[in-house]
Amino acid sequence: MITFEAVTKRYPDGTVAVDALDLEVPAGKTVVLVGPSGCGKTTTLRMVNRLVEPTEGRILLDGRDIREQNPARLRRGIGYVIQQTGLFPHRTVEDNIATVPVLSGWPRAKARARARELLTLIGLDPALARRYPHQLSGGQQQRIGVARALAADPPVLLMDEPFSAVDPVVRGSLQDQLIGLQTELHKTVVLVTHDIEEAIKVGDLVALYRPHGTIAQFAPPERLLGDPVDDYVAGFVGFDRGIRRLSFFASAGLSLKTAPVLGAGATVARAQDTGEPWILVVNDGKARGWIPSDRLGDYPGDTPLRQVPADGVGHTFAVGTDSLRAALDAAVLSPAGEAVGVDAAGQVVGVATFDQLRAAIQAADAADTAEAAAARAAAAADNSKKQDAAPAEEAEEGAPHPAREASPVPDSHRGAQP
Amino acid sequence: MMWSWIPQNWSLIWNLTWENAKLGVLPALYGLVISLPLGIVAARWRWFYPPVLTVVNVLYAIPSLALFIALIPAFGLTDTTVIIALTVFSLCVILPNVVAGLRAVPAPIRQAATAMGYSALRRLVTVELPLAIPVIIAGLRVAVVSNISLASLGQLIGVSSLGYLFIDGLQRDFPTEIYVGLVLIIVLALVCDLILVGVRRALTPWEPRRERRERQERAVPARRLAA
Amino acid sequence: MSFFSWAWDWITQSANWHGSGSIPQQIVAHLGYSALPLLIASLIAVPAGVAIGHTGRGGVLVVNLANGWRAIPTLGLLILLAVFLGFSFVTWLLPLVVLAIPPILVNAYEGVAGVDHGVKDAAKGMGMTPWQQVTRVEVPIALPLILVGLRTGAIFVVATATIAAYIGLGGLGRFIIDGLASDQYGPVAGGALLVVVLAVLVLALFALLSRLVVPAGLRGQSKLGRTE
Repeated sequence: MITFEAVTKRYPDGTVAVDALDLEVPAGKTVVLVGPSGCGKTTTLRMVNRLVEPTEGRILLDGRDIREQNPARLRRGIGYVIQQTGLFPHRTVEDNIATVPVLSGWPRAKARARARELLTLIGLDPALARRYPHQLSGGQQQRIGVARALAADPPVLLMDEPFSAVDPVVRGSLQDQLIGLQTELHKTVVLVTHDIEEAIKVGDLVALYRPHGTIAQFAPPERLLGDPVDDYVAGFVGFDRGIRRLSFFASAGLSLKTAPVLGAGATVARAQDTGEPWILVVNDGKARGWIPSDRLGDYPGDTPLRQVPADGVGHTFAVGTDSLRAALDAAVLSPAGEAVGVDAAGQVVGVATFDQLRAAIQAADAADTAEAAAARAAAAADNSKKQDAAPAEEAEEGAPHPAREASPVPDSHRGAQP
Repeated sequence: MMWSWIPQNWSLIWNLTWENAKLGVLPALYGLVISLPLGIVAARWRWFYPPVLTVVNVLYAIPSLALFIALIPAFGLTDTTVIIALTVFSLCVILPNVVAGLRAVPAPIRQAATAMGYSALRRLVTVELPLAIPVIIAGLRVAVVSNISLASLGQLIGVSSLGYLFIDGLQRDFPTEIYVGLVLIIVLALVCDLILVGVRRALTPWEPRRERRERQERAVPARRLAA
Repeated sequence: MSFFSWAWDWITQSANWHGSGSIPQQIVAHLGYSALPLLIASLIAVPAGVAIGHTGRGGVLVVNLANGWRAIPTLGLLILLAVFLGFSFVTWLLPLVVLAIPPILVNAYEGVAGVDHGVKDAAKGMGMTPWQQVTRVEVPIALPLILVGLRTGAIFVVATATIAAYIGLGGLGRFIIDGLASDQYGPVAGGALLVVVLAVLVLALFALLSRLVVPAGLRGQSKLGRTE
């Protein structure tokens, strides 16, 4: 959908903001550009709508070189959201949202109607339409910025640190909203952020930049977490990436045991017969509490379990839909050290021990590693084709890094920069 | 252009320049003295400022010659008339800058000072006013430069200044005098402006030089706030 | 007697309202001598200020211009031109136009240059042509400051037209200059009072204009003015 071909941005004073970038943004996906300050991610973004012009290379939008189009017309077909919102203070909310449709020739009434539709879409009360931006909160203003970008229904949406200026709670809800919108709208989104968590949460693909305008790794977020290409990436991604990576593995493959699960009417004797160290008492299918087996010994064998004091349940996880990370978290929080799995109605399905979790994690990991290796091999085949075509350059000593996913510049080309 | 006229009339030129300089600087200083307490009050008690500002805007709209004239019955055709009128105009320029300068002191700094145990008065004198100096001096510069030029108008009501050279030059059809008058006023204004810049540098050794300072000065208006 | 009593006495003398050079005539003349330079200066200064503010080039020059302008003594300039061009239309029109330009230019520049950078970026990024950016976004937002500049310019020309009487221009300054020459304080005070009233009316007019013209969304924010 958006293709960068050897794009470089060099400023008159010699600084290189973007260095021979090759990047492919697939249609309908959210691609996040993340990296340290000054790494060139914002410059990359702003080259798509020609707010910055590349010094070398070209950018294709849907196969067409963007330089062939009139800049203003090009931009009307691309949604643009910035950190400071840039809402026009002299216009009402609905007129702000209606800006691009009106610019494109829509009758004002139609544009305003569309603006009110969008207010509902992004979860704001349409009554806000006649207010002015300064009367609204930061979070509301950000949402209006997004609505404004979507008004003319552009296929591409560019977002430059759109959520950095709001507090973490609002930020989380805005991120969720973006994810939700994407499942409905399937726009091609390019989002710039310095927050790796945001990138991992929101992105289908993440491009992690090195400090000076090149990309270290371009991959789905779980690949960044599970298979970072070098120490720089591993360091940027953060220290508990192993556990964070589990968010990407579904809990569907996790096997559960039902032996420790007993109804509140079952007797102590029955519970002791199971031989389980902990018993989960359920009432009407809902988890009520854990009982350690040594406590059972204090009660006569025919006591119904509901009369035995139980410890808390901890946290449950939704079987199948929640990730392994949620399941692991549930196990950690449970007094029994076993995760309680429930279905959509909240009914207990079974419990998972640490051993079962370990097995599931290892299986998921093995599958993912196989995928990663396959992807690397494919990329290597791709790159070696490129290397044959490109001017001969000495490969880096021992080629320490395997070639990466998609097509960032292979190591050997970096030496070619002036 | 008769260059020889200048050394021949050196004492006249010098006297007039000195008079004009006084008429330029003194009212600005008086204006500062009045603006400081007023500005401190206005910065602190926000409701006080809008009515004051309205009065200031109206006063500043009064054409200077008219104000000179209005003061004649009370103070005669003397220096005093011009000085009082120019003090009023200086006040109109400096007061908003005092308020703006004080308000521009970032709240975290004020709060830090209070938290460390400064009383309000001490904080004002040792923290807020020093930080407001650049903006206040910017207003002072505007006032002094304007005053030097406006003082020449005082010649129309007989108050001695470099304006004498214009009028005399016109009456005698002698352009040299007029040139000298114009150049001297502009030079005088420039010199006073530079002196004030030097004063500011001396008073604010912590300030960055040049470029950052220009950006800071423009961030806070050096002139009047609109009502 | 006070300034006001002198002025009032003179203004209320009916003789002063008839014949050539009467009060109403001079009021109208003064309005004309003020309005024309203001109009010409605005037509030059507002577009120039907006253009410089939009492109950002020449901004430093503009700010320094304002400072230099304040140092020029208007009386001296008027007299100099009178000596060389004689007592003609151009002699007073030219300096009035040229001197009215800086305050209008500076405020228009400051107004446009001061538009929030994010707003300008968004306007450009959404696909507005430069003309659309200026007319639909930057100027409306800069309007309060542009009006302040026009107001300053207006009051300036009213005051300077008064002084131009010294080189023969008509208008309310006539009463002042002639009165000073003939030692009659009556017309001097009367003329001065009328000029003051005129200036205050200009102020009021602009306040009203501002209320009518400035977009509602901007009124909620504090407006900072750059003026002379």
